[in-house]
Amino acid sequence: MIDSGLLFGLLLLPLLTAAASALVAHDRTRYAMVLPSSLLTCALALTLIARLLSSGPLRAFGDWLYLDDLSAIVLLVVMLVSALAGAYSVAYFRSPAQGHALKPGELRKYFSLFHLFTFTMVLASVSGNLALLWTAVTATTFASAPLVDFYGSREPLEAAWKFLILAVAGELIALLGFLLLYASGIAALGDAYNFAIPVLGQAGAHLSPSLAGLGFLLVLVGFGTKAGLAPMHTWLPDAHSQAPAPVCAMLSGAELNCAMLAIVRVLSLATPAAGRQSGQLHAALLGFGLLSMAVGVLFLISQRDFKRLLAYSSVEQMGLIAAGFGIGAPLAVLGALLQMLTHSLAKALMFFNSGNLLLRFRTTTISEVRAAIRVAPATALLVILGALAIAGAPPFGLFVSEFSIVRGALGEPNWGAGALVAFLLLVGFIALVAPFGRMTFGDGEGRTAPPRAELGLPVLAPGALLLAAVLVLGFWVPAPLHSLLVGASHVVSR
Amino acid sequence: MLAEVVLAALILLVTFAFIVTRRLRAALAAYAVQSWLLGGVALALFADSRVLGLLLFGLLTIAVKGALVPQLLRRRTASALAGGRETSYYVRFPTALLLGAALTLTGFIAATRIPYAPQLLPESVLGIALAVLLLGLFTTTARRDAVLQVAGLLAAENGLLLVGLVLAPRLSLLIEFAIVLDVLIAVLVMGFLVARIHEEVSSTDTSELTRLRG
Repeated sequence: MIDSGLLFGLLLLPLLTAAASALVAHDRTRYAMVLPSSLLTCALALTLIARLLSSGPLRAFGDWLYLDDLSAIVLLVVMLVSALAGAYSVAYFRSPAQGHALKPGELRKYFSLFHLFTFTMVLASVSGNLALLWTAVTATTFASAPLVDFYGSREPLEAAWKFLILAVAGELIALLGFLLLYASGIAALGDAYNFAIPVLGQAGAHLSPSLAGLGFLLVLVGFGTKAGLAPMHTWLPDAHSQAPAPVCAMLSGAELNCAMLAIVRVLSLATPAAGRQSGQLHAALLGFGLLSMAVGVLFLISQRDFKRLLAYSSVEQMGLIAAGFGIGAPLAVLGALLQMLTHSLAKALMFFNSGNLLLRFRTTTISEVRAAIRVAPATALLVILGALAIAGAPPFGLFVSEFSIVRGALGEPNWGAGALVAFLLLVGFIALVAPFGRMTFGDGEGRTAPPRAELGLPVLAPGALLLAAVLVLGFWVPAPLHSLLVGASHVVSR
Repeated sequence: MLAEVVLAALILLVTFAFIVTRRLRAALAAYAVQSWLLGGVALALFADSRVLGLLLFGLLTIAVKGALVPQLLRRRTASALAGGRETSYYVRFPTALLLGAALTLTGFIAATRIPYAPQLLPESVLGIALAVLLLGLFTTTARRDAVLQVAGLLAAENGLLLVGLVLAPRLSLLIEFAIVLDVLIAVLVMGFLVARIHEEVSSTDTSELTRLRG
């Protein structure tokens, strides 16, 4: 009863904030609503997670809503990223350095869509009915595509259109997968059963293996498109580089994980039935993962634009997460789950950094930003430390999760996958850190650097918080989080 | 049973219109007819099986996708439709026809390979449904025009709903709700972006949008 109320509140709050953002007259009011709303939603989410930890998965409204350890990790990611992206949005649009002249009504559109986007992602993480899960993931596309087109010039429009068309096409393929998954349960559960996660979870090995397996593969291809897995990733570098910086943080840091959650969820439901064939399902996930890592790293090397660089890093990272789940060894799965969290935090940080660099240098071209450490020391420090964090340098959290995935592969033993992942991570490390290093420390000879001036605290604080979180996760995983990760890994590999 | 199969066959026939037509208005009309036929399949199935969800499914499909959505699309993309401009493919027209035929065949072959437990409709309808899904997705990827790309996605969704009627008739109403919601939001968002494309490149030809590379 209490759980139902809390879950309902968790969904209602962002929805109401979206409505309020559309209705109020002044941008000042719109700004003022962001922080209280996200803090309250975070508090609700944390309460729910605490109840989950003490009494097991929460089921509400006839399993329409459902929260277990796996969904809790994505919920946590969505809440943290959208709360900080909200705070950063306010600081970003208020910053005197902001170059885009805001037209009347633009912020009304921005913040209503922003909160709506948060709502759809929260819904995706707490959906219990699989038809609702599909609807929620699809809704994230529709809420975010107009945000990609926020700046209203030709390039963002092109990016938004490509994103919309490819993501929706992928979602339709995923729906075919969900239909097959439903059909896989008809023999065991009757033709009119409740299409909910716990119901299918209990049916376990009684599902039809071939239908469930085929269903998973279609969901993998369909939602893989939305999760940015190669070769369906082609929209991602455009959309994730053309949107305003805080939206990029939401797209890369939170939205991709919602699609990945759906993929992993269906994997966890299809594996028990597949029996010996489940190796093939994992192999498919591993294959897409490794390909995405390779494609991501390859395009990192030749990038001239730092936002596109970060977007291709997302392709690489989602590939790594898919590979971790595909390897399937307990340690690798644990690593992949932690990676979902650490990557999201670090990627949000880096997109905030990209926004800060844009504010200060008025460009996203790598070669036009030099000696940032002299122009704006605090901003530049966040940039270079964030770059080290996202590249997976110790002692940051991503090092721990990436190391677990590689260790898991080597212990399986799957030497080939382990070695390939390690190699790609190493190349990716260099390809990511080198350009940000040049931007931070390179001498600006021949260029007129902007005068030395620091950006304000409101713009820097969200990134600093994220950096602290990623750093702490490198040394210490708090006990409740650890138990969530272990619980989620049991959900994934039953 | 015959009525359903005949209606399904007509759905496939109408879907070919998306492949061959050169006019945007014709594509939108084809979508409306396709939706009526799909609603007809559901209603005929309701008459046979008395599953109440199918009645609702049929009525909803005819009302929303057969009438409301085409109307909304026509209004939201009025600027693009004005002048009855002809549209083209990224590939040559004969190639597009060949690919369309190959995809139809693929749909029917795929249907024979899916080991599902037969429900209310025969396997031949599954082949039709998968073919419609593939042809819709093909229209979306191969056409240059934004309005036709949207129409392709909508057609593919109708194919998916037909798949649902074959594989899981009792889940169909839920999927129908999901799709109807999806379609309405899609028309809103895509209509907005189509209008933006029109204002940016003075047509709805997406092949003009090629600035992002690498």
